[in-house]
Amino acid sequence: MYYIHAIASISHQDSFRNSNVYKSLTPLSDDSDVISPDFKEFIPPAALRRLSPVLRMGLAASIECRNQVATDFDAIVVGTALGCLKDTEKFLSTFLTSTSDFLSPTAFIQSTHNTIGGQISLGLNNHAYNMTHTQNNLSFEVSLMDAILCLNDGKKNVLIGAADEKIDFLATVQPDLIPNEFPLSSGASFFALSPAKSEIAIQAVSTNFNATNLLEDIGTFLDVHDISMEEIDLLLHSNDDIEAHFSPKEAINYLDFTGFHYSASSYAVHVAHDFLKYRHMAKYALVVNDLCPGKVGITLITRDEA
Amino acid sequence: MSDFKETLKSQIIEQLNLEDLTPGDIQDDAPLFGEGLGLDSIDALEFIVLLEQNYGIKIADPNEGKEIFQSVNSLAAYIQKNQ
Repeated sequence: MYYIHAIASISHQDSFRNSNVYKSLTPLSDDSDVISPDFKEFIPPAALRRLSPVLRMGLAASIECRNQVATDFDAIVVGTALGCLKDTEKFLSTFLTSTSDFLSPTAFIQSTHNTIGGQISLGLNNHAYNMTHTQNNLSFEVSLMDAILCLNDGKKNVLIGAADEKIDFLATVQPDLIPNEFPLSSGASFFALSPAKSEIAIQAVSTNFNATNLLEDIGTFLDVHDISMEEIDLLLHSNDDIEAHFSPKEAINYLDFTGFHYSASSYAVHVAHDFLKYRHMAKYALVVNDLCPGKVGITLITRDEA
Repeated sequence: MSDFKETLKSQIIEQLNLEDLTPGDIQDDAPLFGEGLGLDSIDALEFIVLLEQNYGIKIADPNEGKEIFQSVNSLAAYIQKNQ
């Protein structure tokens, strides 16, 4: 078991410092936007002015997790599919249009995917293991696997999370990549994991980058962990076919509440945590992420009553 | 010269993302780095870009930067002399 000791999410929901995000879930409108905390509470003005939305979200959520556990992290693992899109767009646009010999260094420096993890490290003054995973819709799940490996390796307090941001240009290209009816969105969810016991834990996570049969993958995952779908109290998914096939006790298509971004499953895990925490009779929640065809991530969250 | 300095301050605010400042918050003779606006080495690079993009001025010797970027007064004087 990998116990969750802190969570912080910044999303299109009222999620930051919300003790029960499951209870507060509200379907998104097409024009919804991120509900941000006051970033000045977490980031000095001199640093804040340079940070794009994804960096602000990732850093503030990480600092909030650090404040909740009141212990330095001995590993920081970040997942992001598209990275710092806003800075990337700014840098590339300037590169294409500028007639100058020089380009603004800030957007270039901050356009790499691992800037989020780097800024978290700087913001927390933390020099521990720092890794960024970019695996499309499975960036969060792969990061979670890395965090679990860190814990198996003896680390005691691991920060793991995922963040992605939208830019206007995505509205032009996204329909050609993965057509869907959900509004484009942004979000960051971070978790402090530890082997020290707490109420809710990540029991298992798996990924399949060459999935040909989603329903079979889910069945195999449940078999491996000796659980039936009837025991799952809440299924959070990104594909209504799963819900129709398994008929679980309770199910949510989490994209209705996160909007479409490639790290949305991290928020689903936050929802699962709060569901289990406050639904005392519930024991298991399952997050199934198949946002990109052929790429399936499955995360089992459980209440540990032992 | 006064109008030029106001324009320059607006350009500095935009280039350096000093989102909470207005031109009126920047004193003509206050240090831009260190105790003044608290700018850092990345901002020095942004100043070089600002000079080249807006005024076509390239700083040949990077060591000159310390003098040129001391304050809005020194920056304005350098631009007017080299434009």
